[in-house]
Amino acid sequence: MEITLTHYLVLSTILFSIGLVGIMRRKNLLMLFFATEILLNAVNVGLAAISHYYNDLTGQLFAFFIIAIAASEIAVGLGLLIVWYKRTGSIDLDTLTSMKG
Amino acid sequence: MLDHILSILIFFPLLAAMLGFVVNKDSIRAYGITVTTVEFILSLWLWYAYDSSVSGMQFMENIELIPAFGIAYILGIDGISLFIIVLSTFITMIGIASLTDTKRVKNMIITLLVLEMTMVGVFASLDAILFYVFWELSLVPMLYIIGAWGGPLRIYASVKFFLYTFAGSLVMLVGMLFMAYFYYQATGEWSFSLLEWYRLILPESFQYWLFAAFFVGFAIKVPMFPFHTWLPYAHGQAPTIGSVILAAVLLKMGTYAFVRFSLPLFPDAAVFFMMPIAIIAVIMIIYTAMVAYAQEDIKQVVAYSSVSHMGVIILGTFALNVEGISGSVFLMIAHGVVSGALFLLVGVIYDRRHTKLMSEFGGLASVMPRYATIFGIMMMASVGLPLTINFVGEFLSLLGFYQQSHMITLLAGVAIIVGAIYMLSSYKKAFFGEVTKEENKNLPDVNKRELVALIPLVIITIWLGVYPKPILEPINNSVESIVQLMHDKAVTPEAKSAIPNLIKDDKLSSNMEAH
Amino acid sequence: MEMLLYIALFSPLVGSLFAALFTAQKKTLIAGVVPSALLFTSFVASTLLLIQVLQGNTINVELMTWMATGNLYIPFGFVIDQISVTMMMVVTLVSTIVHIYSIGYMDHDKSFNRFFSWLSAFVFSMMVLVMSDNFAGLFIGWEGVGLCSWALIGFWYHKESATWAANEAFIMNRIADLGMLIGIFLVYWNTGTLQYAEAFAIMPTLDNSTLTMIGIFLFIGAMGKSAQFPLHTWLADAMEGPTPVSALIHAATMVTAGVYLIVRSNELYDLIPNVGLFIASLGAFVAMFAASMALVNRDMKRIIAYSTLSQLGYMFAAAGLGAYWVALFHLVAHAFFKALLFLGAGNVMHAMSDELDPFKMGGLRKVMKGTFIMMTLASVALAGLFPLAGFFSKDLILEAAFAEHHFIIYSVLLFTAGLTAFYSFRLVALIFHGEERYKIFGIHPHEAYKFMLVAMSPLAILAVIAGSLKMTYFEMVTNLLPATEYHIHSHTTYWIMTIGTQLFVGLAIAFAYKKYIGKVKEDKEFEKRFCYKVLFNQYYIPHFYDEYIVKPYRELSYIFWKQIDLKIVDATVDFIGTSLYKTGEVTRGVQNGNLSTMLKWMVAGLAVLLVLAAMFTLVATNADFLLSVYHDLGA
Repeated sequence: MEITLTHYLVLSTILFSIGLVGIMRRKNLLMLFFATEILLNAVNVGLAAISHYYNDLTGQLFAFFIIAIAASEIAVGLGLLIVWYKRTGSIDLDTLTSMKG
Repeated sequence: MLDHILSILIFFPLLAAMLGFVVNKDSIRAYGITVTTVEFILSLWLWYAYDSSVSGMQFMENIELIPAFGIAYILGIDGISLFIIVLSTFITMIGIASLTDTKRVKNMIITLLVLEMTMVGVFASLDAILFYVFWELSLVPMLYIIGAWGGPLRIYASVKFFLYTFAGSLVMLVGMLFMAYFYYQATGEWSFSLLEWYRLILPESFQYWLFAAFFVGFAIKVPMFPFHTWLPYAHGQAPTIGSVILAAVLLKMGTYAFVRFSLPLFPDAAVFFMMPIAIIAVIMIIYTAMVAYAQEDIKQVVAYSSVSHMGVIILGTFALNVEGISGSVFLMIAHGVVSGALFLLVGVIYDRRHTKLMSEFGGLASVMPRYATIFGIMMMASVGLPLTINFVGEFLSLLGFYQQSHMITLLAGVAIIVGAIYMLSSYKKAFFGEVTKEENKNLPDVNKRELVALIPLVIITIWLGVYPKPILEPINNSVESIVQLMHDKAVTPEAKSAIPNLIKDDKLSSNMEAH
Repeated sequence: MEMLLYIALFSPLVGSLFAALFTAQKKTLIAGVVPSALLFTSFVASTLLLIQVLQGNTINVELMTWMATGNLYIPFGFVIDQISVTMMMVVTLVSTIVHIYSIGYMDHDKSFNRFFSWLSAFVFSMMVLVMSDNFAGLFIGWEGVGLCSWALIGFWYHKESATWAANEAFIMNRIADLGMLIGIFLVYWNTGTLQYAEAFAIMPTLDNSTLTMIGIFLFIGAMGKSAQFPLHTWLADAMEGPTPVSALIHAATMVTAGVYLIVRSNELYDLIPNVGLFIASLGAFVAMFAASMALVNRDMKRIIAYSTLSQLGYMFAAAGLGAYWVALFHLVAHAFFKALLFLGAGNVMHAMSDELDPFKMGGLRKVMKGTFIMMTLASVALAGLFPLAGFFSKDLILEAAFAEHHFIIYSVLLFTAGLTAFYSFRLVALIFHGEERYKIFGIHPHEAYKFMLVAMSPLAILAVIAGSLKMTYFEMVTNLLPATEYHIHSHTTYWIMTIGTQLFVGLAIAFAYKKYIGKVKEDKEFEKRFCYKVLFNQYYIPHFYDEYIVKPYRELSYIFWKQIDLKIVDATVDFIGTSLYKTGEVTRGVQNGNLSTMLKWMVAGLAVLLVLAAMFTLVATNADFLLSVYHDLGA
């Protein structure tokens, strides 16, 4: 069986859905970052697949950008997370409500 | 100096207000009186320099602010705005002179000076955006006056006042932007200049919508029924000075804007909406007069009477002929003087008794004869007795509208009956009868400071009632040019026939155009 | 001559302002004397003007512009012609006398100075009313007299009844003034001017319905000031004011302003005889209606007030029938004898310590000889016996009605003449004759000051001799008014009518004397009868007004305020405000600061957007198909 574009896109969708469920359900900040990573990589899979399908490198270029930005984002995010953990001793999302309206 | 007199009139109070912060607290009252007197004298000079035989705008100033959008700093006055400016400076002066001892008197005087700037600004602006800026700015000092010095319900009253009028003027702003956009479409250039807008002839359907948008803003400000309910609260809670300025000048912004914007910009819409508005005016006149009759608080009587009188002004404005519009502009001045005086008078008794309920008084005529006399004169002026200032305006407004409709004028004329009913019965409750309350037996009569404010108002009331010419003539000339402009601009034949043509020779040709 | 005009006009104003200077101070005689002297000056000036007018000179001056805008031009213009000079004579003469009389009458009143200020102000307004040469000027005076009447009826402002009556008078007059104002508007928009001369010159060219409207609205104005049915109730209540006020304002001058207006507008009413007929019928009706109420009333001043009302009815009847000069003549004669009657009543009131019920008086002729003679004279004049003033003027009205073939009006007026004689002499008999009933109440009556009686004497003389001035007057006013002489065709009819009327009146007087001169017994049986009750309660009209107009108005006002203004209009506004506020309250739950919740909202929003995008794509791709379906549905 040949692996076609559709298969990649289905994979991308499944990954995206997993990530989506993850950001909705997880209460741990660290788990949230994982879920975000899954979301981003789901998009990366889609971008790379379509890029290959059209023989256009732009998509893959975008994917690299995303990887780079995701890495820096995680770096900043984890930094904040550590500071937060030092302050409050918890990385549970429900404790983060100081912006309550 | 005369070239920039309008700018000076606008910014002198603002400058003085800023300097007021460094003035010593003990001398702030003298400072306030001095500044407002100088301002008043400047406005008198403006009147003196005004050429009443010219009907167009005078003392024009034009500085471009944002050329890309045609927003400019354009000032200018004609006979209509001139006297309202003089009225504003005069009432502010009188108000500060008669200011009773209040807490934070410094803040009060600075606020009043800023308010004076916005009032003069509104009446002198000839650019829609500039007008809008001053229009909205005027809310701020008033909000502060009611909210800081008001009665027990002051927060509710001031917030209601602010949000209600603000919501209305936002609709007006949308109307202005659309108007500018139409102007852009027609000419390819952006402009908010009123005089440029005057030249634009809009199709009827556009006129209806734009008229409606402006109407919302103006009607709330006037205030017209059923948008009037902020007014009794504002008056009921505001300190005396706040009520005086609110009734005398701020309400006039709405009626003035009708004459300045709605009529010349949208003549066909004005004719189209004339009858509905006249019916609202009649409701205002009769309904609020009856509500006034039911009041127990004498200040509320005067507050509701203001709404009733504003109905007559609106009716005169929408008579769309020279007699009616001149009458309504004159009545704006007259009502400013008379209602200002009435609120001052209510303030006099409030200072002494700290109550405004009429049932607390009774028999004041024998305790305070001078007060009763002045109140009586002002009451009779408010009722519209001939040879007082109000009569001239009311007579001309009603006379003007009679040309448009017999029945409506008959109903609106009921104003002179219902006006007499609530005024006389209030006067009777407060001043006639035996003195029943112990506290009232030794009330001091009006003192010098109060007389300083009241006597000029009495003199003006009678002087302009007997000899209205100095004011009526310039108003008449400017109104004539507006009516002629409206006639020329009108698109529909109905509007052409409803708005009189003042140039008699052109009657034939314009009739031919209409057909 | 212009100087004379201004002296006549402005002297009362100066007097009023002079007295006003003293209002805050204690009683000073000078505040009464100076206005009286100034009024006398005004009277002299008016007399000189009368002489000029008799020589055929009339003048029209313009003091200054009042209002000018658009095509409207209203000056302060004054005219001295035959009509206005007649009115000026009446006004200045009666008011001079009343002023002098008041110096005595108000002697003990602490507001003496204020009284003269208002009284002179009234005269000034009345002069403006009669001298103006345009409708707007007339309206100034019209409202001015209303104001002064308000202040003078409510002069004793500590009395609830007085202030109530004052307000009633003012408001009722205002109702009529609205009619007047509309009449003025009609005149302006149809003739383009408010000057009498110019407006009346244009009127014949107008169509009949417009003229009828003008006539009706102006007459509504006249009805208020002259207290014609149904706006009549204020006049009787106005008797709360001091008696000189009643004499001057509510008998001699102000209430006749309505008649003056009709006479002044004779050129208009000549064009619309139907309205004239209506005026005459209403006048005749009021004449009888008011006289009937006077028959049983037990308040001296109210009886005279009703008689005034009745006589005003006569004047309107005459004016309505086109006999303007007759109406004006009756106005003049009536002013003299009715003012006299009121001033006499004032003396009696003083003597009786402000007692007004004639049933508590009686036999006063012994102590008050002068007053007795003068009041009897006035009553004879009022009844219309030969050769006093009333005979000439009232008989002319009857003749006019007869000659114009309005026999119903004629018979009503004739019958009323009998009633007039009856109630006048009922009053005279009750006050001056019979037993001295006042003694039970411990009152010691005394005659008024001498100078008050002297002041009254010119009125008494005029009440006697006014009839002899008829021809001079006729020649003068017919320069301006239609000179219709009312001749009954055959001499026999004329004599039968005149003598018949006199006999009828005489009989009525005799009947009144017979009934009331002896011992007056309280006729309880009679007082229980329906017709007595109806008459005594003034046909229940005040009650009706109170119950069905005043009360509903008050209640409706409260409903408007409490129910509509606060509960509907304001509540709607507040509802909009609070609902916005509540929406915020509810939706702020969204912003709970929890990242997890926010992310869920974000996902939900994403889903909504995706669905929308899908829907739009579907619609866009199938647009042609959907449009065709839509058209099919439409067709």
